[in-house]
Amino acid sequence: MADEIRRLSDDLARDPSSLVFMPLADALRRAGQFDVALRVALRGLDRHPYVADAHDVLARIHADRGDLERAADEWEMALRLDPSHGQARLGLGFIDYRRGDFESAERRLSAATDSDGGVATALSHVRSALAARSGGSVPAGSPSHALLQPTSPPIPEFPAPDLSRARQLFSPVLDDTDQTALLVDGDGLVLAGSHVDATGSDVSEIVAAELAGVSGEAERAMRHLGLGAWTSLLVEADGAVIAMTPAPLGSLVVVAASRETPVGLVRLLLDRALTRARDWLARVA
Amino acid sequence: MRTPYAELLTVLARHRGVLGSFVVSERDGIAVDSNVQIGVQAEAVAALAASLHRKARLACGAAGGGKVTFLRLDAERGGICAAGRDDLVLVTISESRANIGLLRVEMMRAAKALT
Repeated sequence: MADEIRRLSDDLARDPSSLVFMPLADALRRAGQFDVALRVALRGLDRHPYVADAHDVLARIHADRGDLERAADEWEMALRLDPSHGQARLGLGFIDYRRGDFESAERRLSAATDSDGGVATALSHVRSALAARSGGSVPAGSPSHALLQPTSPPIPEFPAPDLSRARQLFSPVLDDTDQTALLVDGDGLVLAGSHVDATGSDVSEIVAAELAGVSGEAERAMRHLGLGAWTSLLVEADGAVIAMTPAPLGSLVVVAASRETPVGLVRLLLDRALTRARDWLARVA
Repeated sequence: MRTPYAELLTVLARHRGVLGSFVVSERDGIAVDSNVQIGVQAEAVAALAASLHRKARLACGAAGGGKVTFLRLDAERGGICAAGRDDLVLVTISESRANIGLLRVEMMRAAKALT
């Protein structure tokens, strides 16, 4: 996978206007590097806004990040550009299924052609889900029956998002590619999230290490001043705005956005990230 | 002894809700000059503010965010603002009623003159 990404990156560097950004973004997505994949896909779409497959790739990235709304937008765009785009129908069917709208999922998948990989199987699963919900029986031993058992994995033919991965904890609350979020423990170790710098390198560990002890010092400063508990620390720099706030178990939620992002929006982002971190810590702690 | 920072510290201290301001060395946390209300523990807070500024600077550098221009620590009833240049950091302590926007502009302008 790493070799494939390197090769595709080299190809794209040689010809930035080529369509190689699509397989590169998809390879990055499959490797779990969602932030970089998103950046590559968006840059490619700037040059090729009318390529349906490019919107399909972007939709898959959004779906894997857990942002089903944006994924649906992109798949719908792909369908507008190419009404016969089977993967877009499959994706929209996946979203309907995830939302529990099995009827719509069935309609969408029924409209897809037989040559679209996975459509027939997905349609079979959706119909099984419909039958199960309406009280109908699902034949024991059939693939659909197995998939509906409580211990079964979600329908494997769909690009199911994996929200259990801590690195992607904040992906659903981040609005664009210039935003990152980290959850750092009191010792400066990364608990969740990631921070990728402008070159695409993951610098989460270094940033977290530099922030070790911030919470304690902020708390001591406020104690000396008698101004109550500290609520947030906002840092404006030449190229970024970084905000942090105390989180449960002595941890720290840190969000970063480009310098152009309004400070108020960064604070809003921090609130959303904190809510997500609290929920996550409550489950894993 | 009057330092070159006395006047700017006086100007900052006149802002609504400002409890004090000081110039501190980021390297060792020692206050170079201060103008604070009675009861404010300037030395301890200066050292902590300098340390916070240093950590923020290092974290920003690691994150590829560039040089820190302004820092704001908010608490329930007020907070600390800091703006640095080289080794010196200008810090203000304020209550919640302070106009942070105005203070920020004033501090960033003043920080450019720190030498």
